[in-house]
Amino acid sequence: MDDNKGAQSIIEARVRTSSRRADPRDIAHELRAIGRGPAARSRHRDTHVTFLANVLDNHGDARGVENRSGAVACIGDYVARRFGRRKVVAGKDARLAALPWREAGLLPRFGVVDSGDKVSVSYARRAIAETGSIVLESGRDSPVSNSLLAENHIVLVDAADVYDRLEDAWHSGNTDSNRPRCLQIISGPSSTADIALNMVYGAQGPKAWLVILIATDGPGLAKTARDVAAIRARPGARS
Amino acid sequence: MKQTSATFLQNAHEAMLQPQRSVNRQQLGTMMPQLRDSGVASFGDFDALRSHVSEVRTHTLDHLDHYLDSYVKQATQNGNEVHFARDGDELNRLVSDICQRHEARKIVKGKSMVTEETALNDHLMAEGFQVTETDLGEYILQEAGETPSHIVGPALHKPEAEIRDLFLDRHDLGDRELGDAAALVAEARGLLRQRFLDADVGIIGANALIAESGYSLLVTNEGNGDLCANLPPVLIVCTTLERLLPRFEDAMDLLRLLARSATGQPISCYSTLYSGPRRDGEEDGPLETHIILLDNRRTDILASDYREMLHCVRCGACLNHCPVYVAAGGHAYGWVYPGPMGSILTPLLTSLEASHDLPNACTACGRCEEVCPANIALPDLLRDLRQEEFLTQLTPRRWRLGMRAHAWLLTTPGLYRALTTVAVRAMTWLARGRGSLHRLPFAKGWSTARDCPAPESATTFMHQYNSLRKSRHGR
Repeated sequence: MDDNKGAQSIIEARVRTSSRRADPRDIAHELRAIGRGPAARSRHRDTHVTFLANVLDNHGDARGVENRSGAVACIGDYVARRFGRRKVVAGKDARLAALPWREAGLLPRFGVVDSGDKVSVSYARRAIAETGSIVLESGRDSPVSNSLLAENHIVLVDAADVYDRLEDAWHSGNTDSNRPRCLQIISGPSSTADIALNMVYGAQGPKAWLVILIATDGPGLAKTARDVAAIRARPGARS
Repeated sequence: MKQTSATFLQNAHEAMLQPQRSVNRQQLGTMMPQLRDSGVASFGDFDALRSHVSEVRTHTLDHLDHYLDSYVKQATQNGNEVHFARDGDELNRLVSDICQRHEARKIVKGKSMVTEETALNDHLMAEGFQVTETDLGEYILQEAGETPSHIVGPALHKPEAEIRDLFLDRHDLGDRELGDAAALVAEARGLLRQRFLDADVGIIGANALIAESGYSLLVTNEGNGDLCANLPPVLIVCTTLERLLPRFEDAMDLLRLLARSATGQPISCYSTLYSGPRRDGEEDGPLETHIILLDNRRTDILASDYREMLHCVRCGACLNHCPVYVAAGGHAYGWVYPGPMGSILTPLLTSLEASHDLPNACTACGRCEEVCPANIALPDLLRDLRQEEFLTQLTPRRWRLGMRAHAWLLTTPGLYRALTTVAVRAMTWLARGRGSLHRLPFAKGWSTARDCPAPESATTFMHQYNSLRKSRHGR
C-alpha cells in the first residue's frame, strides 16, 4: 500500500501541474454557468404515453392497468400464458407484499431470485419517460439479482413516479449518508448483436421485460402508447 | 497484447485478402452509420448536446485536480478502497494482489478496454487464475485466442459460421447443432451463467466516474457488467482518470450521447451506477469493492497539445464511419484501439516510433469529426501526429526530401505553374484520348491498383480560370 500511496502522490502531482488550480468556489460557479444539456424530444404531450411508447421501442412489453388488482391480474395472465405456472419471485418490498396476489392465483416467493427462476417482479422507485427506463435502487426490498437472473423481469410503476428526464433518476433525498449501493437504469431486456449483427434477446439477463404502469387511465395510456410506437419502428443492432 | 502497429500496411493488406471478413466489415460500415443517424435524428438538437458535453469535459479537465480529489474522498467514504496505478504493470499487480489476498481462483470480467490496454488477462492467467471474459463478443475471442477488432462489437469481424465451428470445437454440445445466432447466444449464456455464480472476483470498467458522489457508471446491453459487479463477493473497477465528470446530470448527458453514437439506441439496456460494497440488510452485492485509477501516460496527454483526445467517450462512431477502418478492419491497427481514435491514442499511449503509420491511415474525409459525440477534431490531431512523425524523422528519407521539395515548390508560384502546365500536357499526351492512365511515372505504387483519370483539358485549372474570367469580364 505504501507503493500505492507513492503512485497516488505522483499522479496527483502530475494532474495538479496540468490543472488551473482554481478556488473551489470559482470552479462551482464556472460549472453552474455551463447550465444543463438538452433532453431528447418528447414523443407525446403526455409523459406516461411517452414513457410507455419508449418502453415498446426498447423491445419491452408495456401494459397499463387501473389499480393494483389490475397489476396482479396482468402478471397472472402473463405468467400463465408463458409458463402455465403461478410462481414468481419478488423482493421484500412492502408495496409488493401488499399486492392481492391470490386474486390472480399467484404464489410469490419474497427474497432473492435463484438462477433457475423464470419470473421476477420488481416495483420501480421511478421511471423515465425520455428513455423508457425504470429505475431500481438496490436494497433489501430490491435485490439486484432479481433484475438480472430471472428469464422474465416484470416491473410495476406508479403513475406518480414517472418523470420526464434522465436526471430525475437520481432521488434528491439520496443524501451523502443515504446513497444506494447500486442504482440501475434499465431500458429493455438483455440483448446482443455480437454475432454478425444478429439481434438476440436474453444475452445474459432477462429475455423478456414487461413494464406495467398503474394509473387511473392506465389501459387508455397503453393503447395510445402502442399507436405512438407504431409510427416509429426502428431496426436494431447493438453489442 | 503484442503490439503490431508498426506493420499496419502489411496487416491491412492481409485483412483485405479475407473475403468473408471484408463482407462483415462492409455490413458494419453500412448499417452502423444508418443506426446512428436514426438515433441522432430522433433526439432533437444533438449538436447542442454535443457542445454542452464538450464544454463540461473541457471544464472537468481544466480542474481535474479538484474533481479527482473530490472523487477519491467520496468513493472512499462510500466504502471503496481506491488505488492508483502509474502504468499497466502496476494495475495488473494491484489486481492480482487483491485476488491473492482473497484466495480467489475464478474471476469474471466485463468488457474493459483499460484492461485490454494493460493485458490483464495474460497477467492473471500466468499467475494461475481462471479468467472468463463475459461480454459475448469478448468471450468468443477469448475462446478463439483472438483480439478485439472493434471497441464496441469486439467480435464483429467473425462470421456466424466461424463462431459455430468454434463452439462445436470448444463446448461439450452433445446432439445440439446451434443452428442460428439465438442458439449460439443461448449456449454461451448457459455456460457464462455458471461462471458468474461460481466467481470469486468480478472485474469491470467504467464509462464515467462522478466526482460529487463517488459513483462509477457502467453501460452494457447484455447485463454482463452488472452480473460481474453484483454476484461475486469482491468487485474491482479498473478505470482511468479522464472518465471523471462533476455531477450526476453530466453522466446522464453522457448516456444520451454514448448509446446514440455507438448503436443508435436512445440508451443502452443497462446503465448502472455503483457506489461501493453491500449495505446493511442487502441480500446481494459485493462485500468488498476496489477502484483502480490508471494513468498510463494520460497525465502526459493532459499536459500536451493532444489533451482534447481525453474527451473521447469510446463509442466507436469514428470507426464505423472511417473508410480505412471499414476496408482494413480493427486488427490492422495492431493494438487495443483501432480506427481514427486509435490512430491517435496508440501513438500517445505507446509510442509514435512503434505506430507512426497509424496517423497516415486517413483519407482526410472528415467523417470521424462530423460524427464524434465529443466534438474532437480528429483529422487535426492526426495531422499534428503526421507533423511530429515528419519532424522526428520517422518517415523515410526519400519521403521527407519529397515533402520538402513540395513545400518549396508551393512557395514558388511561377515555377509551380510552369511545372503543372508541363505535367498536364504530358498526362494528356500519355492518355491519348483514353480517358484514364494505367501507369504514372514516379507513382508505380499508387497506380498498381487503380487508374488515374486523365485531365479533361490540356491546360491547367488556373489557365482555364483566367481565360474564363477574361472572356466574361474582359480582364
